[in-house]
Amino acid sequence: MNITFIQPEKFREQMEYLRRERGMDFLRELVGMDWGEEGIGAVYMLENSETKENVQVATRSTNREAPAIPTVSDIWKIAEMYEREAFDFFGIIFTGHPDLRRLFLRNDWVGYPLRKDYDESEELNPVRMFSENVENDCTHTLAPDGTLQRNPDTLFDNNEYIINIGPQHPATHGVLRFRLSLEGEVIKKTDVHCGYIHRGVEKISERLTYPQILALTDRLDYLSAHQNRHALCMCIENAMDVEVTERTQYIRTIMDELQRIDSHLLFISCAAMDLGALTTFIYGFRDREKILDIFEEVTGGRLIQNYNVIGGVQADITATFAEKVKAFCKYIPKKIKEYNDVFTNNIITRKRMVGVGVLGRDEAISFGCTGGTGRASGWACDVRKRHPYALYDKVDFKEVIYQNGDSFSRYLVRIDEIMESVRIIEQLIDNIPEGDYKVKTKPVIRIPEGSYHATVEGSRGEFGVFIESRGEKSPYRIKFRPMGLPLVACMGTLLNGNKIADLMTIGATLDYVIPDIDR
Amino acid sequence: MYDFSIITTAIDQFLRSLMPSALATFLECVLIAVCVLVAYVLLAIVMIFMERKVCAAFQCRLGPMRVGFWGLLQVFADVFKMIIKEIIDFKRTDNLLYNLAPFLVVLSSVLTFSCLPFANGIEVLDFNVGLFFIMATSSFGVLGIMLAGWSSNNKFSMIGAMRSGAQMVSYELSIGLSMLTLVALSGTLQLSEIVARQADMWFIFKGHLPALTAFIIYLIAGNAETNRGPFDLPEAESELTAGYHTEYSGMGFGFFYVAEFMNLFIVSGIAATIFLGGWMPLHVPGLDAFNATMDYIPGPVWFFGKTFFVIWLLMWIKWTFPRLRIDQVITLEWKYLMPIGLVNLLIMTLCVVMGWTF
Amino acid sequence: MKRERYTYLSTVTFALKSLLSGLKVTLTEFFTPKVTEQYPENRKTLKISERHRARLTMPHDENGANRCIACGLCQNACPNGSISIVTKSVTDEETGKSKKVLVSYEYDLGCCMFCQLCVNACPKNAIEFCNDFENAVYDRKKLVQKLNR
Repeated sequence: MNITFIQPEKFREQMEYLRRERGMDFLRELVGMDWGEEGIGAVYMLENSETKENVQVATRSTNREAPAIPTVSDIWKIAEMYEREAFDFFGIIFTGHPDLRRLFLRNDWVGYPLRKDYDESEELNPVRMFSENVENDCTHTLAPDGTLQRNPDTLFDNNEYIINIGPQHPATHGVLRFRLSLEGEVIKKTDVHCGYIHRGVEKISERLTYPQILALTDRLDYLSAHQNRHALCMCIENAMDVEVTERTQYIRTIMDELQRIDSHLLFISCAAMDLGALTTFIYGFRDREKILDIFEEVTGGRLIQNYNVIGGVQADITATFAEKVKAFCKYIPKKIKEYNDVFTNNIITRKRMVGVGVLGRDEAISFGCTGGTGRASGWACDVRKRHPYALYDKVDFKEVIYQNGDSFSRYLVRIDEIMESVRIIEQLIDNIPEGDYKVKTKPVIRIPEGSYHATVEGSRGEFGVFIESRGEKSPYRIKFRPMGLPLVACMGTLLNGNKIADLMTIGATLDYVIPDIDR
Repeated sequence: MYDFSIITTAIDQFLRSLMPSALATFLECVLIAVCVLVAYVLLAIVMIFMERKVCAAFQCRLGPMRVGFWGLLQVFADVFKMIIKEIIDFKRTDNLLYNLAPFLVVLSSVLTFSCLPFANGIEVLDFNVGLFFIMATSSFGVLGIMLAGWSSNNKFSMIGAMRSGAQMVSYELSIGLSMLTLVALSGTLQLSEIVARQADMWFIFKGHLPALTAFIIYLIAGNAETNRGPFDLPEAESELTAGYHTEYSGMGFGFFYVAEFMNLFIVSGIAATIFLGGWMPLHVPGLDAFNATMDYIPGPVWFFGKTFFVIWLLMWIKWTFPRLRIDQVITLEWKYLMPIGLVNLLIMTLCVVMGWTF
Repeated sequence: MKRERYTYLSTVTFALKSLLSGLKVTLTEFFTPKVTEQYPENRKTLKISERHRARLTMPHDENGANRCIACGLCQNACPNGSISIVTKSVTDEETGKSKKVLVSYEYDLGCCMFCQLCVNACPKNAIEFCNDFENAVYDRKKLVQKLNR
């Protein structure tokens, strides 16, 4: 992967040029990076949503004390969150950023953990037994004399009625926290707090071997466990020039789609539960159990499957696999009809979802909301179509796209995608070729020096893996593109002016998974 | 038809022969209070068990199966747990109101409960404005909920209580209107008299279309009045965690819980009484042999049978539908139920005046 | 005006229709057989997949011997350090060469994440996962198991 380096002084200008003249409207990833001697900075991966053209640029500052890079958060809205993450991990100061706070770590954390010279001693960052004080907004501006100035600002007034949704709240699907300023039932302002399940996967990975990192990917977005691992395996295989067998490709594709159905069934169930229809929730889980049984039989795990390995899959499919999958493909359309009868077509569901939380196409691209959310807003963002991998260029399936961008479209996209996934599986399941399920790889896996990138379509968006290798057994820097962070980033825009009950509708239909956001 | 007033009169006469009349009255009051409370608690336990099993059946599950045969003792275990749980005091609550609120809620529902005519002769309170009294007592339960939400000093509770206030006050109208429709048909407010006048045919058949409409409106409004799904916004667990009773523990919470279930029973009981004939057996005019056979089934069986049927209907609704949003709840009441209820009342009055009833 | 009345009425009819179709579904489910699995009463009929990874075991043959050669590859492969091997050097009497022998193979179930890397790394297939999933204990220390006999 080629990365073009730009001087920080010219960086703003170049980025504006890329956005305006070359139509790079989708910021795929922003990878903070510590190049050591050469400086601290970030890699930006951009894509033109029309032509699918990709550009990778990077900028870095040699000032290790306070590396300053101009912000691009006004060009791509999602950059606001990504830059907060880079600030959190690398201490990069994005000048002009409207709200440069730590994103995942506590406000009182000492040091920037992903820097190579980070001091890990426990005296600096002990387990603190008190809660952090909520820091106010702050921006950094570059004063005329070249020093950075911190401009604190208050997010909420003292006389605002602020309620806390989360971190322990049934509607946040995990440990996410919103602070809402209310006026009666109407939400006036939203502030998102992430990091309650931050495990530092990227930091841990820097000292693990590649096969060991694979064990962590299932635990990012546990509802896209297969796709996540697929992405990392693909990235490593591409880097090492390993060609996997056709059988492996078939198995991987089928498993990915089963995983997608699994995730979407859970989505329907949880959306129903958030809207108060507990019965539909149980129905969804009842049917999801059938997929989990298939997973358990083939992979040995229900949620954490550990199936893909570098060069293939862990074990060959079982004899009854095809039969069971076919039975499931027959079974699920009937059940979808049942969900439609009891929930989708229900007048209450319609009233709760239609027209609530509208995300426009341009906004979806600017926020980088891929997956079902982006497609509900009319953005053809399916990685399976944009950058086909595995067998997706050989199978016939439709990219489900809705134009309205409201909660109901987001919900319908998932329902339709289940049917498309069933179609993909039906095309493949009878034709799995004979062959090895795994090619032999070297006992110790080393990736040649360079930067590598691979993406797959996860259950809720584009899941990307970026590896910077120095030829060692472990990566120099590994970055997973979170599918959920853009979705959470756009919550503020979608919520303001809606009611508390709409928070549940919007949150449920955006379909984020917290361990994937926090990593 | 069985007449249970024979038993009650016998007890009354027995007591009066033993002691002065004033003491006997006092003793009877105590006796009745104990009976009502015991019945209240036992019915609540039955209802909780029923809710669990019915909900499980709708959801393709089995429900509680561990404690006792078919989980029969599960609710007793839960009640026991609730009783021995610590009641937690909070520093910044409004203590008096905080402790008063659960009692207000239970008081309102016990008072309403004691008005129900369980069988011929088993009526605790029976006077000429019975239905009006029921309306009055059942509607002050909202006071307790509002107090609970306010005094807990919790923002979730507060929002829950405000929702509950808006909702219950609104739906009171529809309940009143649909009851009024039936009063227009029956011509009396006295509950025993209402049941007696359904001897030839239940009101829901007698009043045909307008009565049926009133019944449906009553079910919807009654569901909203008891804060049950799809109108359970005051305690919407996916939004407000538990709403107005978030901060209550032990029996404080227990009272709210029991009162909620008993309010469901009361709403269904009233529906059974004024629409489905209460303890009155099913009578079809002209089929005397059939009517006589039906009379062999005692009144309480009819009353509880009908009541639990209505409860089952309400549970069926609760476990099928998603929850509404607060503005939709209010819209449903003021734009749909109330106008339809008013028109319905007009039609019913017309029917009664013109004699278009069976 | 006329149009508005039409939408009002059509809303009511659509609402009733959609609600009734929902009620129909739940009513059918009310009478269908239930799917609850009554664990632990159903232990006898419970089927756990062969490949399910519940606990690491070291199979022993009838003589009580295992295939472990104490090479330590599994210990190195484990991302969590849940395996620790204690070895000693023994001199072979026939050849006179010294070789490593396993003394104790300690496996901490508490920090295992069932990634199967140890099993993949083993050159002699001396360890494997079994599907006996009932591993709950009251004391964390009991999770540290000695696998060799």
